[in-house]
Amino acid sequence: MNPLVFYQTVALLLLGLGLYALVARRTLVGMLIGVELMLNGAGLSIVAAAQLTSADAVLGQLGALLVMGLAAAEATLVLAIVLVVSKRFGDASADAPSELKG
Amino acid sequence: MNEMYLGQAAFAFYSLIALAGGVLAVSAASLVRAMLGLVVSLFGVAGLYLLLLADFVALMQILIYVGAVTVLIFFAIMLTRASADGGEAQGPGLRGNLRGVFGALLPAGILVPCLAVYGVAGFPTPKNVSPAELGAGLLGPYTMAFELISVVLLAAMAGAVLLAFEKRGAAK
Repeated sequence: MNPLVFYQTVALLLLGLGLYALVARRTLVGMLIGVELMLNGAGLSIVAAAQLTSADAVLGQLGALLVMGLAAAEATLVLAIVLVVSKRFGDASADAPSELKG
Repeated sequence: MNEMYLGQAAFAFYSLIALAGGVLAVSAASLVRAMLGLVVSLFGVAGLYLLLLADFVALMQILIYVGAVTVLIFFAIMLTRASADGGEAQGPGLRGNLRGVFGALLPAGILVPCLAVYGVAGFPTPKNVSPAELGAGLLGPYTMAFELISVVLLAAMAGAVLLAFEKRGAAK
């Protein structure tokens, strides 16, 4: 079989694991870990697709680097949001800020 | 012939590391252990990048993800001052598990048939791109993306400071 399919399968499994964590975890930090797993799968998929086909390899690798940069920016913002939530609601579970005021 | 088997064995090894780390990151009851699972998974993916001859991306993966993002997650765990388990001790429960499995299988149900129908036959061996070519790409056709990501990082940094900053006298 061709190797690209194997790489895409690993990336797909990482996506599935990340989505599972995003849905099933109770805390915001656990959900963040799931998102990081998904972004990793995305990077792996991009690099594999660029390196193993006739697509532009430079574009693929730079795309993966951009995904990493976006992941770092996202992690920074989520850290700040988790801090605010835990300061305001006392814990960092995803259910804590689910009530509307009114 | 031997080298081909060696490549397949390395692929199996690295993907096993990546997936086992992912499973630990998803299922661990303690958030610190989940983060360690994420680190293991990141290293496995870095190995896969090496196997794809994307050595610069592999190094950046270790530098950015393992070095920076993981530290941020660790800060998030420690600064929220949750209990030692981080509030994950009781697990997702049956309904959470069901929802999680459904959510994980949904994209697979769409993407696997797409992969089977529209899958491109890849080369058996990856191309080799030197970091110099990557740099030329960043300064040539992809300058805009390079500048935009720096703006995004700056905005994220400023936003994080703005969100987490406490006004003097506001804290009770």
